[in-house]
Amino acid sequence: MITMSHYLVFSALLFCISVAGIFINRRNILLLLMSIELMLLSVNTNFIIFSHYSNDMTGQVFVFFILAVAAAESAIGLAIIVSLFRIRNSLEINLINKLKG
Amino acid sequence: MDILTILFYLVTSVIIISSMSLIIVNNTVHAALLLVLIFFNSAILWLMLKAEFLSIVLVLVYVGAVLVLFLFVIMLLDLPIKEKVNQKLYLLFSLIISLIMFIELYMVIFYHDFSQVAEISHSSEFNNTYEIGLLLFTKHLFSFEITALILLVAIIAAIAINMTNKQRALKQDPARQIEETKQSRLRIIKDKDL
Repeated sequence: MITMSHYLVFSALLFCISVAGIFINRRNILLLLMSIELMLLSVNTNFIIFSHYSNDMTGQVFVFFILAVAAAESAIGLAIIVSLFRIRNSLEINLINKLKG
Repeated sequence: MDILTILFYLVTSVIIISSMSLIIVNNTVHAALLLVLIFFNSAILWLMLKAEFLSIVLVLVYVGAVLVLFLFVIMLLDLPIKEKVNQKLYLLFSLIISLIMFIELYMVIFYHDFSQVAEISHSSEFNNTYEIGLLLFTKHLFSFEITALILLVAIIAAIAINMTNKQRALKQDPARQIEETKQSRLRIIKDKDL
């Protein structure tokens, strides 16, 4: 029998893996953006779990808003990456230091 | 074990394994395709949690639009596949931090003992999409409008960031269009053979 704790532990595990992905990644800013998408997915899953088990639809409405904002965020992020690649000709994170004072 | 339990363990193990390989993979195209797999399996998981509308939206919006955008950018940039650099320190650091986070979250989940929470079963007339729409257009109408505005801002920002080299971009010049006359554009040539 699958209880609420099973779902919550899965969601926590997914979140921790994506946090580790942000730390491990030093080569590619695209993979960093993908890790952020994964974090948003685990947060959304958490919202849906609590919405299902407490019988409150507001959680699912919130997930709807998060999905819209995440789509906008990834579109702007990819636009920034394309223009960054045009300037630096590379996507390595440790080379992005143009704003260094 | 009933079929739902087996499905739960299958789906979650696929998600966990593919997210682990996503964060260590070198090839960005492979990472994007693994993300497609993760989102599909999450849609199944959301379906098991009776969020039918959102699971379809996840497949349509994420797999259909955002990940296609990701793949499009990867193909556009033509990134070289590099060998792994020595990153043992980062690996150790990230393992320690994520382990601490997971232990803390685990303690929170088992302190509250969520396993006792009873599942609510709806009648067969319960309509998930209808309920979400009802809330979205009554209680959360203002937030809904703000979301539309955010999407508009994202469209304008994504175009404005990449608008460089204005001379080469094709655009209309209304002043020149008005100044053009019939004589400057049209030339009548008499063909002798006819």
